[in-house]
Amino acid sequence: MTSDRFDLGGGEPIITLRDIAKSYWRETLEIPVLQGIDLEIPAGAYIALMGPSGSGKTTLLNLIAGIDRPTGGSLEVCGHELNGLDDDQLASWRNLHVGFIFQNYNLVPVLNAFENVELPLLITGASRGERRDRVEQALALVNLEDKMKNYPRQLSGGQEQRVAIARAIVTDPDLLVADEPTGALDAKNAEEVLGLMERLNAEFGKTIVMVTHDPKAAHHAKHQIHLEKGVLDKAVEVNR
Amino acid sequence: MILVLLLLLPFAAYLAWLVWALLAYPIPLSYNLRSLWQRKVSSLSTAAAIALVVGIFVVVLSLAQGLSVAFISSGRPDQALVLRPNARFELNSSIERDRMRILKVHPLVKREGAEPIASAECVVVKLFPMADGTDNNVTVRGMERMGQALRPQVRLVQGRWFRPGLSEAVVPRKMQGRFPGMEVGRSLRMGGRDWLIVGAFDAAGASYESEVWSDVNDVMQAFRREAYSVLLARLESPERVEGFAKSVEDDKRLKLEVVRETDYFKELTKAGDPIKILGNLITLILTGAAIFAAMNTMYAAVAGRTKEIGTLRALGFRQREILASFQWESIFLCLTGGLLGSGLALFANGIQTGTTSFETFSDVSFAFTITPGLMAQGVAFSLVMGLLGGFLPAWRASRIPLTEAMKGG
Repeated sequence: MTSDRFDLGGGEPIITLRDIAKSYWRETLEIPVLQGIDLEIPAGAYIALMGPSGSGKTTLLNLIAGIDRPTGGSLEVCGHELNGLDDDQLASWRNLHVGFIFQNYNLVPVLNAFENVELPLLITGASRGERRDRVEQALALVNLEDKMKNYPRQLSGGQEQRVAIARAIVTDPDLLVADEPTGALDAKNAEEVLGLMERLNAEFGKTIVMVTHDPKAAHHAKHQIHLEKGVLDKAVEVNR
Repeated sequence: MILVLLLLLPFAAYLAWLVWALLAYPIPLSYNLRSLWQRKVSSLSTAAAIALVVGIFVVVLSLAQGLSVAFISSGRPDQALVLRPNARFELNSSIERDRMRILKVHPLVKREGAEPIASAECVVVKLFPMADGTDNNVTVRGMERMGQALRPQVRLVQGRWFRPGLSEAVVPRKMQGRFPGMEVGRSLRMGGRDWLIVGAFDAAGASYESEVWSDVNDVMQAFRREAYSVLLARLESPERVEGFAKSVEDDKRLKLEVVRETDYFKELTKAGDPIKILGNLITLILTGAAIFAAMNTMYAAVAGRTKEIGTLRALGFRQREILASFQWESIFLCLTGGLLGSGLALFANGIQTGTTSFETFSDVSFAFTITPGLMAQGVAFSLVMGLLGGFLPAWRASRIPLTEAMKGG
């Protein structure tokens, strides 16, 4: 199951990182988090980003998802050079191209499952009927069509994460980014969520980049990329 | 006025932008309303504080409105008062009997048969004890028979009108509650005489509801006045007032001043200025406090929902949409208070009160008058509070760096 090179299979790259660097500043002290990241991830890949705490994996995920900006290098994701986009353009780009899955689900507590999933569609200009159809489809895909009217507090952790996945896919994005998606779940629910993500990758061709500490979760990915002190250490192809 | 418009322009432009933002890319309003409800203790206490301020604001405006009603409904545009030059008010004026005789037969004064529709009147003030234990000056108006016809809004509601030569008086019904001993059948002590109260009248909110009326000759004798105070005359039409004024003012025998009755009462509405100034001052201080209360609530809302803001931004909502969303939340919070406050102010509607006019040094009775327009002003006022109180927290919400917001601040 091993490969020391960053060969993540063939195909057109959906993510291209060139000499990416990211530093934070504490007053006058520069704290480098990522350095010299060169990486191409092909469309349809399912990547698990791994590494110890502070290795820069969440920062890398944030850069790929257009949440943060690099301090050096360039990155092209889903056909767009992200450095060239201003904040508003980047927001629109995220809405169209990226679905987010968070460790703590990040559902809006005052909105029910349907309304939470509908949120990203409100920006797209889709009609009310179109939104309803797409939300229902997304919730059906995660087997929660009977929980549409439930508020997050009325759902289990696993159900909340499935609602979050429905929200991530409702705009049909090319890329799904997941930050410790099973970190707050028990083993059974974690397995269910990972199975769902695997299905989204295999059946629907979604490219997935997942940050995880959990080797079991990482085993569901096609490739594992390890970071160490802000640099890419190795890539491993997973034999599933 | 231009300055006020210039000050309001940014508000109007910002509000228009907020409406556009709401229609173009809405973060659902239900999100804001439910968020407010989720923090109901702080939301309701802020709304209550705003309701109090708006309530006071509307009640203060209603005082001024009540005074305006009292004075504006007192005058007619086709009637004029003749006063001594520069007297400004009836109380300061005096017109000798021979001049009054000339005036009453002036050809421009309207007639009813042979009799001119005019009333020579004597106005004095008399100190009366009030129900609250204090004393206040009350205008006592002596008038001729036509005096009642010149004030058609005045209607007898109890007893009968006074008769000349018998020291009889009629009093406003609304004064009876505020001044003890003014019931029909009782006597008033004025000018060294006892005056029998023979009737009570209602003047539909006009300023006559602050006056005791009697016969002009009886009043002049009792108060030892040699001269009248004023002539109130009706002309054929409002347009005739200027001609009448010019004729009287140019007549060397008279040397008197003519004021259209509506203009005279407009001048008297200045009696409400001290109330307005005091009320506006109190409102201004309370408004500052209410804006800070709204700001504090909204800052707490932003701090408690930083992660939600991060999520919304990650999903693609832009900074301006976050700004608009939180600004609407603040507006809803304050509008709730505004509607509540305007509604509560309705309880003051019709309550009778009075003030001392600094123009005539006598009591002016009037009622709190809450109109739909005043209530709308109260709600608009709460909207301004929502805009001002919510802007900085909403701005803060929209400017939290995305990575920081996603971590929860």
